[in-house]
Amino acid sequence: MTNAKQGTAVPAIQISGLRKRYGSVTALDGLDLRVEQGEVHGFLGPNGAGKSTTIRILLGLLRADGGEARVLGADPWASAVGLHRRLAYVPGDVELWPNLTGGEAIDLLGRLRGGINRARRDELCDRFDLDPRKKGRTYSKGNRQKVALIAALASDVELLLLDEPTAGLDPLMEAVFQSCIREATAAGRTVLLSSHILAQVEVLADRISIIRKGSVVESGSLRELRHLTRTSVSVMTEHPADAITSLPGVHEAHHDGEQLTFDVDGEAMPVVMRELASLGVTGLTATPPTLEQLLLRHYGDELAAGVGNGNGNGSKAPAGVAR
Amino acid sequence: MSTTAVPTRRPSPSPLPARLDGHPLAGFRSLFRFMLRRDRIRFFGWTLGLTLLLAYFANVLQVVFPTAEDLQAFAAFSANPAAALLMGPGFGSEAITLERFLVGTYGMYLIIGASLMNILTVTRHTRVEEQSGRAELVRANVVGRYAPLTAALAVAVLMDLVVAILMGGMLAGMGFDAGGSIVFGASVGAAGLAFAGIAATCVQLTEFSRTAAGIAGAVLGGGFLLRGLGDMSAAQGGGLDWISWLTPIGWSQQAAPYVHDRWWPLAISVACFVVCAGLGYALSARRDLAAGLVAARRGSAYAPSWLSSPFALAFRLQRASLVGWSLSLFAAGLAYGGFTQAMIDGFADAPPELLVLFGGEENLLTGYLGLMGLMFAMFTTVFAILAMQSLRSEEFDGRTEPVLATAVSRPAWLGSWTAVTALGVVWLLFAAGLGEAIGAAASTGEGELFNDVLLGHVAHAPAVWTTLAMAALLYAVTPRLVPLAWAVFGYAFLIGFFGPMLDVPDAVVQASPYEHIGEYPSEDLSVTAMLVLTAIAAGITAAALAGFRHRDLVTA
Ligand SMILES: Nc1ncnc2c1ncn2[C@@H]1O[C@H](COP(=O)(O)OP(=O)(O)OP(=O)(O)O)[C@@H](O)[C@H]1O
Ligand SMILES: [Mg+2]
Repeated sequence: MTNAKQGTAVPAIQISGLRKRYGSVTALDGLDLRVEQGEVHGFLGPNGAGKSTTIRILLGLLRADGGEARVLGADPWASAVGLHRRLAYVPGDVELWPNLTGGEAIDLLGRLRGGINRARRDELCDRFDLDPRKKGRTYSKGNRQKVALIAALASDVELLLLDEPTAGLDPLMEAVFQSCIREATAAGRTVLLSSHILAQVEVLADRISIIRKGSVVESGSLRELRHLTRTSVSVMTEHPADAITSLPGVHEAHHDGEQLTFDVDGEAMPVVMRELASLGVTGLTATPPTLEQLLLRHYGDELAAGVGNGNGNGSKAPAGVAR
Repeated sequence: MSTTAVPTRRPSPSPLPARLDGHPLAGFRSLFRFMLRRDRIRFFGWTLGLTLLLAYFANVLQVVFPTAEDLQAFAAFSANPAAALLMGPGFGSEAITLERFLVGTYGMYLIIGASLMNILTVTRHTRVEEQSGRAELVRANVVGRYAPLTAALAVAVLMDLVVAILMGGMLAGMGFDAGGSIVFGASVGAAGLAFAGIAATCVQLTEFSRTAAGIAGAVLGGGFLLRGLGDMSAAQGGGLDWISWLTPIGWSQQAAPYVHDRWWPLAISVACFVVCAGLGYALSARRDLAAGLVAARRGSAYAPSWLSSPFALAFRLQRASLVGWSLSLFAAGLAYGGFTQAMIDGFADAPPELLVLFGGEENLLTGYLGLMGLMFAMFTTVFAILAMQSLRSEEFDGRTEPVLATAVSRPAWLGSWTAVTALGVVWLLFAAGLGEAIGAAASTGEGELFNDVLLGHVAHAPAVWTTLAMAALLYAVTPRLVPLAWAVFGYAFLIGFFGPMLDVPDAVVQASPYEHIGEYPSEDLSVTAMLVLTAIAAGITAAALAGFRHRDLVTA
């Protein structure tokens, strides 16, 4: 899922130096973010990092205290209404009108956005297994979420702003959601996907931004992000491999019977591999960092040294960014 | 974590050891303490606030009527139908004293205040908690089925006791008869108690705290109107005085502090509390946590085609309230209109001072009907302010966010809501006026009254719009301050009904938007005033629409 349009058009979302305070709480502290048209952009970060705040500023519901935000080339605060015809939003905590049915809420929100594709709406109700005849107050959390998802996905829009859209959905519905997002990107839509479900982001996202304490600490494709971290290697060689342990970029090496295990920085990998080859490798496993390990590195207050692959990238360490 | 459709959340299975499990009051003490802690400011705000209001009224009277003779001139006032409607039965007016006048004139408003205090306190600690889901967290702990309701009632009872003691003590401290002072304090607390019980029943009926408070409020408002009829009848020696005995306000007033000092009517209030609270417990045992008694019906899978604009949505969301208000105001109009002839008869030998309120003896009939127009304008204002408060709840509860995330602009949303409310105001004045007109024409046999009465009611719309516009402006700029609109209401109410007899300076009267249009048919209608007020309302609304663009939406 690479992005053919990258760089050719205005970015779908462009944020630079965004600031937002709630009284004495600093929610956003110089946030930069760029989402290209046609991509699915994963937006990750611990609770309270500022994801929802960012999305609400992109919707023009909140006003930024500083910095600049552009959505589809326009200022979201000044041109909210025009933009809202071209985008759809799913909040993480959907509140429905107690006396309107789910179907009425879907139609209403779609019409207020400028029109809803009736056939697609019915199809989505089917796929998400939603009973649209129930009153809003009788829906469970997951079903409320489905109402907002269907209303958003049934509209012909260019951009989807999804703030933890599947919180409360069961695994079956999660799969339906993922195929819907794939269809949306196939149709050329852009998706900003804030989520705590890493498997979802790992599968769907072309690029990922990790936000912590109001600013983005890491941004790139999953491959690029992996490159910035260490891979765990365990190897068996014909000749003693002690020379490896003194190479730059190799950490925490130790012998484990005949095996040698160590972590390698992404950029040191080619050198290490060349060296290993000359020692006569008889067995080798290399484990790339999971997204979870990547994230935990950024989520913790301190660099989570004990977590999986350590940090191979001092200059980008969150400790330097966090305030 | 399954998320398949579960229609109602059931109480979480209790993780308690067997010996505690099942005790329906388990956890009462900690809940009670927790509620008091949550309410530490509210508690004193209400109890001290009501007491200080009483102290203020007492002081005003002492200043306005420094001697017994000054008061005597107003003595007759306490025993005529119009005063009876607005103040109560006026016991002891034949030998008036300051304290009799005080509780006779202002007592009812303190009783209403205490009733509201109880309605809001009980719903706040029961249905509001259930609706928000917090009750689920609480009930999952060592908390019995009846503990939350019991703790909420305990808080309310404590507030009533404090109000009764503070008021009784303060009046006695001011040198009034101690026995009467205590009876008055107790009468205020007793009405509060009755409404704590009524609210305990109401919160079981519906899933929505605002609906529950609305039902209890309707009982209070209906009680106000009913006892008004009864008291008016009593004041002119009619046979309908028993109607006053149907309402908690009536029971408290029948204690007649400083005159008869009767305790037994207050026993009815206590009995009402016991019965209604018991009903509340019984009903609560028959329903699930967070559910109402009436299960929700399934509705349509598609929205009707008209539901496609912010205006349509605003109407859809206010529809139920509009229907309820229309029926109530029409019925109240009928009742008061039907009372017209009896009212005129009762005035046959009234002293001239009290006719001031009606614009003199020759205008009795039209004066009464004109005053009714103002009263229903006041009621309609309550509707308008409550509508603005609902808009605020829409936002605070997170339902405005998805609307404003569509192609609906902020001015369009606020403007639609305000427009629906403004049209609703006209409609409600029409409904009340229609009832009043039918009743008046029928009871007096003067068919030509019909048009005049209807016009006299609807003509107040621009004044109500002005208050509505102020509420909209408060919402647009700082939604937390919407309740300030009640100050406008309270001011206009006092000026409208108590201003004429208290010789308030002209400028003070003119400040109320309700004093310009005229109480048709007893006074001329001022078309200029209607146009000017409409323009003012439109101007304030425009400022609100513009102002709403500039603030952050309140988000969770
Ligand atoms: N209305 C508000 N008033 C005050 N503070 C707020 C408000 N909304 C958010 N905050 C604060 O701003 C910060 C960012 O909140 P935000 O909701 O954007 O986080 P988030 O990344 O969406 O978190 P989560 O993953 O829990 O949804 C938090 O510290 C939060 O407490
Ligand atoms: Mg969030």
